Amino acid sequence: MKDNNIPLKKKSQFKDIVKRFLKDKVAVLSLIFIVFLVFCALFPNVVAPYEYDKYDMAHAFSPVSFEHFFGTDNYGRDIFSRVVYGARISLGIGLVAVISSCFVGIILGAIAGYYSDRIDNIIMRLMDIMLAIPSILLMMAIVTALGNSTLNLTIAIAVSNVPGYARIVRASVMTEKGKEYIEAAKSVGSSDFKIIMRHILPNCMAPIIVQATMSIATSILSIAALSFVGLGITPPTPEWGSMLNDAQSFMRDHYHVVLFPGLMIMLTVFAFNLLGDGLRDALDPKLKN
Amino acid sequence: MSKMLEVSNLKKYFKTPSGMLHAVDDVSFDIEKGQTLGVVGESGCGKSTLGRTIMRLHAPTSGRVIFDGKESGSFKESAAEIKEHHKNMQMIFQDPYSSLNPRMSVSEIIAEPLINYHMYKNKEELWRQVYELMDTVGLARRLANAYPHELDGGRRQRIGVARALAVNPKFIVCDEPVSALDVSIQAQILNLMQDLQQQRSLTYMFITHNMSVVKHISDEIIVMYLGTVVECASSDDIFKDRLHPYTKALLDAIPVAEINNNRKERTLLKGEISSPINPKPGCRFAVRCPYAEEKCYNFTPELREVLPHHRVTCHYAEKINHLSVNHRED
Amino acid sequence: MDNKILDIKNLSITYEADGAIVKAVNDISFSLEKGDALGIVGETGAGKTTTALAIMQLLPNINSKIAGGEIKYEGIDVITMSEEKKREYRGNKISMIFQDPMTALNPIFTVGEQIAEVIRLHNTVTEKEASKRAENMLEMVGIPKNRYYDYPHQFSGGMKQRVIIAIALACTPSLLIADEPTTALDVTIQAQVLALIEGLRKENNTSLILITHDLGVIAETCEKAAIMYAGEIVEIGTTEQIFNNTRHPYTEGLFGSIPNINKKVHRLTPIPGLAPDPADLPDGCKFAPRCKYKCEECERGNIPAFLVEEGHFVKCLRCRDNQEV
Repeated sequence: MKDNNIPLKKKSQFKDIVKRFLKDKVAVLSLIFIVFLVFCALFPNVVAPYEYDKYDMAHAFSPVSFEHFFGTDNYGRDIFSRVVYGARISLGIGLVAVISSCFVGIILGAIAGYYSDRIDNIIMRLMDIMLAIPSILLMMAIVTALGNSTLNLTIAIAVSNVPGYARIVRASVMTEKGKEYIEAAKSVGSSDFKIIMRHILPNCMAPIIVQATMSIATSILSIAALSFVGLGITPPTPEWGSMLNDAQSFMRDHYHVVLFPGLMIMLTVFAFNLLGDGLRDALDPKLKN
Repeated sequence: MSKMLEVSNLKKYFKTPSGMLHAVDDVSFDIEKGQTLGVVGESGCGKSTLGRTIMRLHAPTSGRVIFDGKESGSFKESAAEIKEHHKNMQMIFQDPYSSLNPRMSVSEIIAEPLINYHMYKNKEELWRQVYELMDTVGLARRLANAYPHELDGGRRQRIGVARALAVNPKFIVCDEPVSALDVSIQAQILNLMQDLQQQRSLTYMFITHNMSVVKHISDEIIVMYLGTVVECASSDDIFKDRLHPYTKALLDAIPVAEINNNRKERTLLKGEISSPINPKPGCRFAVRCPYAEEKCYNFTPELREVLPHHRVTCHYAEKINHLSVNHRED
Repeated sequence: MDNKILDIKNLSITYEADGAIVKAVNDISFSLEKGDALGIVGETGAGKTTTALAIMQLLPNINSKIAGGEIKYEGIDVITMSEEKKREYRGNKISMIFQDPMTALNPIFTVGEQIAEVIRLHNTVTEKEASKRAENMLEMVGIPKNRYYDYPHQFSGGMKQRVIIAIALACTPSLLIADEPTTALDVTIQAQVLALIEGLRKENNTSLILITHDLGVIAETCEKAAIMYAGEIVEIGTTEQIFNNTRHPYTEGLFGSIPNINKKVHRLTPIPGLAPDPADLPDGCKFAPRCKYKCEECERGNIPAFLVEEGHFVKCLRCRDNQEV
């Protein structure tokens, strides 16, 4: 056999994925932006020129300048510094909530989609009940019950996101389940666990990633909403959503107080969406070329 | 010769909102070791369900299946028992596009059964086995890291064959393995399957709607219509005698790639296949049958031997085929 | 006397995909006489459907173009027609039946409405008249007219294909192109549909181009046959010439690949290898790499078509003793 000496080695899939991802310039840019945000969240004191709670009433509503990149707010606090510190809360809670809800949602959705009607019914009716409660009420109820803390806020947001994932995962699991390669996997002796993990879930990635990137946006906004009603982040801790809320009444005269926190939310959401798209394509071997 | 598979009175019903769907209804047959049984019929006749039920991808409703001398009694085996069953019985699927996981490479797909059954000692041995399987089915080794979508239908189907062969089964259920392929590729795969059968003394159950293919590859043939076996005989006998009116119509309908000046006048079958949901008693083919009489609508015919080793499910097989009664061996 | 309804000369079609130019159809010529049926046989990617779409002038504009040649319908060049003329020509003069009856009908309209719509699109008739004619069309294809108000999902595959035939024939075109009309159907239903097409064709003196991969279907329905391989017509002639005096090695290979129901062959003789990538076609004869008769000359230059007998052309150097065309 002429090609007998092909090394007995599997080509690393990871390399392929990275190569495909790097081809997508927009996604790479988004990743750089997100990495920068994460850096801000981890080491805000390195990036921010001021403390987030340094009041300076004399310079309230300073416009954009070299001293204050994003200007100052009604208390004269440096908005740039507050945005940098705010990344910690917004991004931190957003990411943790999304990842944990995604995890739970995938498990529930996969079980509901893969197994019999009865388990499916139990799980999905439970999800329906959760969906029936307006998510803001649900989150408020959870935070009130558990007590006001960052952790509990994260839990509340995560819980309210779970049904969305469960529904989406269940639907795509059910489509994949009917395909012939699942029957083929069964007939070569794969266990249910392996079929779900190895065969079904990788093929359900696309809708999950889209949902995840979208829910990062809604999570950031949920934090803001909860902070607004006094559940969640308490002042003066900065957080993009509550910065927006606080600035609402000054928006008419001082655009920069709303512009920058708003811009950050927008850019972050945008970056996550683009990153998600890039990731989805990179993970799909069909889009090799 | 001993039997590889004996199936008696096998039934598989599905619950649907509009009633019980009799996908496979009281089917009996057996397959000798090393032979190929062809199962033909049109879409909806239950041939695929039959294959999947024997493969135990569906649990049968009732009936008996003896595989290689071992009876699978209650059909309530555990997952582990079914896994053991699949060590001797494998399946090749119809659609080379959907039967391969798009996110797994060729080598991963072929290695999967070997990993599941722990059929290797170390990584090197696993890879050696994967390469050997690829050689067996005629796939170039350089394709080991390719993904299915990069390959054409013929090569994909070879992957499916390699995956089925990995555990060294005795029996393979082939569900329309060549229907989705171009004719020149179809012939390559058919030849491959025949070679493998000889080399490895495999027994095949070959499910297809293509009469020419089934005639080419099978030793015995069963013809199915709406979940029941209507005719069962050796390949040559079925094509020569075609005792059942449905078999006649089916064979008549095949366009033959031959030009002879006297184009045959064929009897076209009226109507279409009816629904297998809650079927009424009586012959299921009666509504489309040109020979149907009152009895056909009221009494379900039994599969009976009309000529030696040639069984038919028809009340009037002798009359229709002008056979004298002394042919019958009751 | 020119009886030619369709005359195609040196037609070439290219696609552009990922920067590469794919030669889907290369320099094909054929003509069709009134009332004739031509079968085009070939495997996936041979350019059959592309040819049909070119005749219909339905090629996607974005990435495909007619690189050369002409398509004449009753002497008029259809490639240079105005868009408006083309619309009139499609449906009124030429109709097409597509492969998949399951997706070709709109699920939210009744079948009767869908037939009536086509009639009204191409004729100035009242709504009532259109539905009357639609009812007649339904009966013509063997569907009782009380099913006019049924939706496509209430029909089986064979019945849907009948509806599609009714739509295609609603404006009594003089040429019908059927692209694998029976591939998705069972044999007994296929026989019904083929018989229906045959009957309607004889009745209205419609010409037919039948695209299929099934040589058997061609043998039973067509007077002429063209064998396509890698975008070229490698052999064309009457069905009898093609079947009984097969000259091209590819055609030969096709016959060797199909199990014949009337003969017992122990082993099939398939064509080795795979069809070439249309983006990277070999020089010379496209079939040479798979051909058991190939010689050095086959891999060079353009292989012309040779006339081996009246109306029977073969693109193979083995036939070079005959007149070159």
